[in-house]
Amino acid sequence: MTWVDAVIQGLLLGGLYAQYAIGLSLMFGVMRIVNIAHGDLVILLALIGISVSAAFGLGPGFIMLLMIPLGALIGWGLQRGILNHLVGNDPLPSLIATFGLSLALQNLMLTIWQADTRSLDAGALAIQSIDLGGIHVGVLPLGIVAVAALLTWGLHVVLKTTRFGRALRASAADKDAATLSGIDTKIVYAKATAIAVAILGIAAVFQAARTTVSPADGGAQLIYAFEAVIIGGMGSIWGAFAGGLILGVAQVVGSRIDPGWGILAGHLVFLLVLAWRPQGIMSRR
Amino acid sequence: MSASPLLTARALCAGYGDFQALFSIDFDIQPGEVVALIGANGAGKSTLLKTFVGLVPIRDGSLTFCGLDVSKTPAHALVSRGLALVPEGRRLFRGMTAEDNLRVAADHAGQPAAGTRPWTLERLYDLFPILAERRAQAVEDLSGGQQQMVAIGRALMTQPKLLLCDEISLGLSPKVIAEIYDMLPVIRQAGTAIVLVEQDVSLASRSSDRVYCMLEGRITLSGRSSEVTRDEITQAYFGVKHDLG
Repeated sequence: MTWVDAVIQGLLLGGLYAQYAIGLSLMFGVMRIVNIAHGDLVILLALIGISVSAAFGLGPGFIMLLMIPLGALIGWGLQRGILNHLVGNDPLPSLIATFGLSLALQNLMLTIWQADTRSLDAGALAIQSIDLGGIHVGVLPLGIVAVAALLTWGLHVVLKTTRFGRALRASAADKDAATLSGIDTKIVYAKATAIAVAILGIAAVFQAARTTVSPADGGAQLIYAFEAVIIGGMGSIWGAFAGGLILGVAQVVGSRIDPGWGILAGHLVFLLVLAWRPQGIMSRR
Repeated sequence: MSASPLLTARALCAGYGDFQALFSIDFDIQPGEVVALIGANGAGKSTLLKTFVGLVPIRDGSLTFCGLDVSKTPAHALVSRGLALVPEGRRLFRGMTAEDNLRVAADHAGQPAAGTRPWTLERLYDLFPILAERRAQAVEDLSGGQQQMVAIGRALMTQPKLLLCDEISLGLSPKVIAEIYDMLPVIRQAGTAIVLVEQDVSLASRSSDRVYCMLEGRITLSGRSSEVTRDEITQAYFGVKHDLG
């Protein structure tokens, strides 16, 4: 029973990683950009959310409604202002730019919020749980997994069936050919990054409600998101979701074996997948 | 046919980075005309087509399309004005179905020329019935000929007034080449002008009204396909200095 419980708690933890990972996977899949500032953007949105919540006495739901458009705006600006100038066959320029952005954001956040840890008060929701035959499942973590699944499914449907989704897939497959079909790829890229960071607006509120955040936490979030994307297969949205859950399970099962082994177990699973199936478990190649 | 030209280039120079590929190109095409562009490998034929559609920056000279200066128009915006390129090597969207490849182009199409019937999926499937059967398959699973049909169909779905075809016969069997070239008169009847870049000089001459020959980034010959002689073409194609005879 303890192991069943560990797996379920792992899946619940993985829901948050999945939320980080789908945006990272989207950006990589469409533009071949690995956004090193991904984790710092989560923390930035979380800290803004916490401050706005404290200043105006708003609940997490309201904060999420504010952070989604703010995330979209930041993503749009990031792509139009910086990344669109660097997209190309060489992945290095965008890697360096987002690494620089990551350092700048961390220091900006330290200046504004200091190194304190903060969190968002989710009220009763934070401690509510339901009893599934002896296993207690938190309502908030369950909601996080459900939202992650919904986001993944929604993104999948948008990619498969809409005009924008077709333009996005076409731009990902062949940028010049997309241009020749009348697509303004710079706009498509800006929309993709806007979606990726808007999803972080949701993840940021859940992160702040479920645990604590401090300005230097971004790096760890990036690593988890990155590992989830690699486990699932770079560019695959469902792969990122599955990768997040697998990473969560590995961490919780590891920490049940020894409390110090949680994060290490996650890294080991990541390395095992890299050795056994470097293209990721859900990649078509 | 003697109406104002559809596309006009005057003293056009273009290139990549420090490398200049095109030198003072003069080129015209009338509405509904088929023009062949021939020349050896590296003569600049593909670069000229890419320059027309805005993928290679223009350094000097002028380019007008439908009477408007387009020398600074971004490539994606030219598509909705009626300029389409079937690129060398087809460049289909891998991982997407044949029909989704066509839909992408339809999504961003311009208005068809006045008085012409717009290209629709149905009309395209009439032209290439095999594509109707294969519409739900990923493009990488289609044969070379079928892929080329998708590439041409994708360009047609943008409702072009001028269709630029870059080596659409490359790597295909003679039978499939004949099938595809048989479709050009149908496309032309719909009111679309066509520029053909073609390695097979006799096929190019047979399929076109006029011919341009390029050598080392310059136009070395132009004339009516029925009037230019084999000797003229040989000289324009290889240049005098390469003539061993």
